[in-house]
Amino acid sequence: MLALAPDAGSARAARGLAGPRTWSDLGSTATLVWGKCQGSARAPYQVTVDLTEPAFRCTCPSRKVPCKHGLALLLMWAANDGSVADLDQAEPFAAAWAGRGATPTATRAAPDPEAQARRLAEREALMSAGIDDFELWLHDLVRQGLATARRQPPGFWDTAAARLVDAQLPGLADRVRAAGSEVLARPDWAPHLLGELGRWYLAVRAWRRRAELDEAALGDLRTVLGWPRRRDEIGDRVADRWQVVGLSRDEDERLLSQRTWLHGERTGETVVLLDFAAAGQALKVAHVLGSVVDGEIARYPGGQPRRALLTGDEHKVTQGAGLPHATDVRTALGQAARWLAGNPWLRRIPLALDAMTVVPGDPPLLVDRDGAALTLAPGTDIWQLLAASGGHPAAVFGEWIDERLHPLSVVVGDRLVAV
Amino acid sequence: MNAWEDLLGAALVGTGRRPFRLGDLAVEGADQLEADTPEAALLAAAALAAGYRRAGWTPPTWRGTPPAPADPDDRPECTAAAAQILELLLTRGIRLEVGTEPLTVDWLTAARDTGRRPPHRLLPELLRFGTLDSASRPLVKEVIGPRGTWLAQHNPAWHWAKALRPEEVAERFTTGTRAERLALLADLRATDPARARALVEQTWSQEQAATRAAFLDTLHTGLCGDDEPLLEQALDDRAATVRAAAAALLDRLPGSARARRMAARARALSRPDGTFELPGEPDAAARRDGLTDHREPGLGRGASRLIRLLAATPLCTWDIGLVGTADRDVLLGWTKAALRQRNPDWLAALARHQPTPELVAALTPEAAAEVLSRQRKLDARFGALLAAAPGPWPPGFSAGIVERLRAGKADAVLRLAARALAEHLHPAALPALEAWLLAPAKDQKATARTLRGIAHALTIRSTILQEFE
Repeated sequence: MLALAPDAGSARAARGLAGPRTWSDLGSTATLVWGKCQGSARAPYQVTVDLTEPAFRCTCPSRKVPCKHGLALLLMWAANDGSVADLDQAEPFAAAWAGRGATPTATRAAPDPEAQARRLAEREALMSAGIDDFELWLHDLVRQGLATARRQPPGFWDTAAARLVDAQLPGLADRVRAAGSEVLARPDWAPHLLGELGRWYLAVRAWRRRAELDEAALGDLRTVLGWPRRRDEIGDRVADRWQVVGLSRDEDERLLSQRTWLHGERTGETVVLLDFAAAGQALKVAHVLGSVVDGEIARYPGGQPRRALLTGDEHKVTQGAGLPHATDVRTALGQAARWLAGNPWLRRIPLALDAMTVVPGDPPLLVDRDGAALTLAPGTDIWQLLAASGGHPAAVFGEWIDERLHPLSVVVGDRLVAV
Repeated sequence: MNAWEDLLGAALVGTGRRPFRLGDLAVEGADQLEADTPEAALLAAAALAAGYRRAGWTPPTWRGTPPAPADPDDRPECTAAAAQILELLLTRGIRLEVGTEPLTVDWLTAARDTGRRPPHRLLPELLRFGTLDSASRPLVKEVIGPRGTWLAQHNPAWHWAKALRPEEVAERFTTGTRAERLALLADLRATDPARARALVEQTWSQEQAATRAAFLDTLHTGLCGDDEPLLEQALDDRAATVRAAAAALLDRLPGSARARRMAARARALSRPDGTFELPGEPDAAARRDGLTDHREPGLGRGASRLIRLLAATPLCTWDIGLVGTADRDVLLGWTKAALRQRNPDWLAALARHQPTPELVAALTPEAAAEVLSRQRKLDARFGALLAAAPGPWPPGFSAGIVERLRAGKADAVLRLAARALAEHLHPAALPALEAWLLAPAKDQKATARTLRGIAHALTIRSTILQEFE
């Protein structure tokens, strides 16, 4: 990436600028990356990179091409840590520049395949070096023992995570950072950490043998490493009547994310749509919970449940009825086990559960007809669940994360209601 | 899983101190793992064993008895649009200068009057609303229905909304804290006043003076002639606070024996021309009836005694036609009497003669509108009366008052009574408000903002009414 820099000074300056603090309106499509950077001028500089050439544009006064702003933007995009949102449409200023020139077809010339292959090889080399480095770190950790690791200051985990980001492995970096705080917070930190170490090590070994992996396993590996998913790699399309069974939102200082869980009536497949927006920006309008979208989706390569995109323009939307695919707890967990066998890195597992009774208490539980009990995640609004169900058994859809259920919707009558 | 525990032990200690060999791992598939070093062996073992452990997780079996479910609610659910308005009001999704509480109360009133229920999902927010705004609790309790009262059982903060079974009442009254017992009495007075009084009488002699006085205060709700014997007895209480509380309640019962005694005393002072002699020092019987040496602010002892006496005398003792000629002290006594006895004829007559915010607030909306329509000047006094007038205001009056304020350039009145206008104007006033908004003077941004706030509240209220038609 920094090989594109006109001189060493620009590269150094770009590294300093590649943090979200001075940036706003960061976003990217398959071909464009853009953002606004607050420099010394009153108005922020508008920075756009066309990935197909690559070509740079910045409203700053520097005559260097690319300038430090363009390089910094590219670095942030490559880090793929969520600070550059993955969007459908470019900001007007970026789109206007991308549409420059009298003959749009000419500027949309196919990217040079040789240059693309070279860039891919460079990136893979960088990732491989990072993976080797990470493996050594894992070895050190188990040689000294988990008890020693627990006594490490938070900086220990953050440093490891930062090195993973530098090696363009932001997905692993997130998990290492999260594990660092879990180690201090969880009473069952030791088995939790050991499980995570196993999954990280599995990613290391899988990376080495990536040439032998099938498309689905490679897709899952890319997700866990945090290799950016571009739109052009989305694979197979499938038409169905997709019912919106759950909506969940997360926000942190930098990023809003939204997961929309869909269940196909005919295929019986559960998929998830992901949307992101930078903090302060609006997310794409969510689908209506319980509605049925009659149309085609395209699925990213990976094991089930797969990430997908709605494709095509025309979708007929109707009202669905409840959760027809809900099962008892044991059946749902059996399904979860099959998914985990296909993708050991899976973290959020969608569960559609039938006839669950809410049992208030500490912690509150959801119990099915056989008495199988799931613990509700801390922070769950138990009152919504109780009000909606009235103490009667009700079908519930939720995300199963680390042996805790985060309920997203509950069936009232034959309607899905958000909780 | 023993293999997992062994592995965990090895990992905690570290392979530096205790080398780990894959052969030690008793997990299926372990023989297919390859590792050059003890570290790689441990990590590979963790990957395999953690996969089994996670996929093989089984839920514990719960053997308790789930709480009994809520009783069914036969009322039809309100419309989706009505539910959406309530949700916005409760979650403050709508911003209103006058606050969202009055409109929430309007919503609840409309739902109660038409026998429709809010959707179950909004019950937690409604209970939170009632917890913060205790004045609307009775209304909230009516609207939430059996599902809401059931929900309230599960959250101590919502116990005020719990439905108490009759057998629970007595027990709670015996064992509860003072605050709980008072809350219980206040609730019970609204539904079963006699039962509440019986509870008070049951422990009367063992309670402390402060508690006895507080118990009497709860009788304000649902006060009626049946309460008289208890109050009459309390006039002889050894504590002055209890005697005062009893006298204050008896002031509200014009049919009581004490009221007749007061009437006899007052008649003895009345002259044929409608004026009164000032009473002298009260005798023991008068003191027992609550005629104390309490002084009205700025008035002498004699005048204060007369006012106190008239305030406790049934208004039917007098000719209502005398209101126009009575002097200030007499009017003050009658005003207090009218407010306590809630006598609509006297309230209206007094308000027509000399309106005060207190009198206007005690009138029916129609009577208040009539009194306000007679006022000539749109001054601050008028603003105070308008702010006190109860709602909902009749349609004609609502549109008329907006026109009057606009024509009279009464911006000060508009701001004084903004909250009342937003709360009580009939939606029929909306066209007049909008016309005013379209043509405000240029330098009157504050007026325009107030008008917009009122119009906004009115639009929401009119939507609420439509959705509950």
